[in-house]
Amino acid sequence: MLEASDLMVFYENNLALNNVHIRCDHNQIVGVFGANSAGKSTLMHALSGIVLDMQKKEMMAGGERITVAGSVRYQEKEVMTVSPSRRAKMGIVLCPERRRIFKESTVLENLKIGGYLASPAQARETLAYVFDVFPTLARLKNRIGGFLSGGEQQMLAIGRALMAQPKILLLDEPLLGLSPLMQAMLMRTTREIRDQRKIAIIVTEQYARPVFPIVDYAFILENGSAVLEGTREALMDNPDVRSAYFGV
Amino acid sequence: MEILIYGTINSVALALYALGFALVYGICRLPNFAHGALYVLSGFIAWTMINTFGSNLLVAVVATLLVTGIIGAVIYRLFLIRVRGMEISEIIASYAIALAILEGLRWGGFKGMTYTLPVFIEGSVTIGGISVDYQRILVVVVGAALVAFLWLFTHYTRVGLALRGMAQDERAALMLGIDSDMMAVVAMGMGSMLAAFAAILLLPLGNIVVESGYNVLILAIAVCIVGGIGSWMGAVLAAFLIGFAQILTVVYLGSHYQMMVALLAIILTLILKPSGLFGQQKELEERV
Repeated sequence: MLEASDLMVFYENNLALNNVHIRCDHNQIVGVFGANSAGKSTLMHALSGIVLDMQKKEMMAGGERITVAGSVRYQEKEVMTVSPSRRAKMGIVLCPERRRIFKESTVLENLKIGGYLASPAQARETLAYVFDVFPTLARLKNRIGGFLSGGEQQMLAIGRALMAQPKILLLDEPLLGLSPLMQAMLMRTTREIRDQRKIAIIVTEQYARPVFPIVDYAFILENGSAVLEGTREALMDNPDVRSAYFGV
Repeated sequence: MEILIYGTINSVALALYALGFALVYGICRLPNFAHGALYVLSGFIAWTMINTFGSNLLVAVVATLLVTGIIGAVIYRLFLIRVRGMEISEIIASYAIALAILEGLRWGGFKGMTYTLPVFIEGSVTIGGISVDYQRILVVVVGAALVAFLWLFTHYTRVGLALRGMAQDERAALMLGIDSDMMAVVAMGMGSMLAAFAAILLLPLGNIVVESGYNVLILAIAVCIVGGIGSWMGAVLAAFLIGFAQILTVVYLGSHYQMMVALLAIILTLILKPSGLFGQQKELEERV
């Protein structure tokens, strides 16, 4: 469904992504694991096209030179040069790191803004669905986004991304800074969303343990390269992976 | 009573000047220094429609709104988009456009005291012993209606909500498929239309002179700084604060101090509370 090959991203002369190849099939959950600065967020930005926006802004301001090479194919089409808003319209929706919810708007408004691409009927249906999988949001729907807790904000960020009618949802570090209980709940819900909405999901995380139970396939990034990949079972049996990402 | 009535009218006029500026800044973070120029330009467009083409008032009003909106959008699409996100460059570029428009109008012969727009309704009414003409009442009514319309627009329509999302976090909006360049063009078009609205309502009260472009810009900036940049409700309240302060100075000190009030308000706000009376974003950061 979504496939990136020979993907390279440079910040000036720093190689942030080096010849990365990853793919995600329809209705699959793919995990991308790696330490800080391994290139997870850069990968997500490249897949969603946000890197093009960053490139443009930096170029206008005379800042960092960002270079992108390689190919991103989505539903048999090359989308490497397609703008991020067009990619969102095609169904690639990124739920960004650190959530980036609209802090001055209420929960309901956040979700409505997320429904910009949806038709009124789709927006109504998805809104009801989001309140169904995240009942907490329904309860807090008139609260200002900035006053939510971290876990609630993350639910809102996922709900908002769902409102944009994704066919493939990119979750960038959704568990950052959350309690183990909240992490487990979010991952259960993520799998539920995949099953019920029939969408593909790519999820990145530093620490694999809470995410691993729900992924079908996983990639491990190190210093910008995809060093290992495999199904859940195959990676579980790999002693290096066990020690580095599970602390066993 | 006189102070109350004329203070209200003056305040609404200030709010009308500032609305477009506040909208464009709030959404695109673009300090649009061409705002005053667009105000004067739309005045002359309306004048040309009425006097050269002989169209009736209503047609002239609608045409002026549309043409000014399109001019604003085109200015953004052609020039300002290139310096997007660099505030100093944006100020210089938009001020250059303002100078080009205003001095171009002057060069084109639009100067002197001969240009006036007709009022919508002739006549006046007496409120509490003070005679107020209908045009000034219309200013207050339409000004209030515009604020209400903008509030509804940004809270209940798809595009309005998208604009607010973009105002808060442009990149997050982009991830949801909101094309920020397109939205900025829309916002700039709307901001220019608001400038045209102000011009059509307020210019019949005096002459159309090129110099008022600079004054309108200063007043709009004063209102936005005092109200807290990016906060629309703050801008409206600040308009009332400065509006009444101006009328009080006119009554008790003399009319030539009027312009000083706005400038003094800018200086005082920047010294005492730089984020403005209702600088929401910083306030939220302090509370959380």
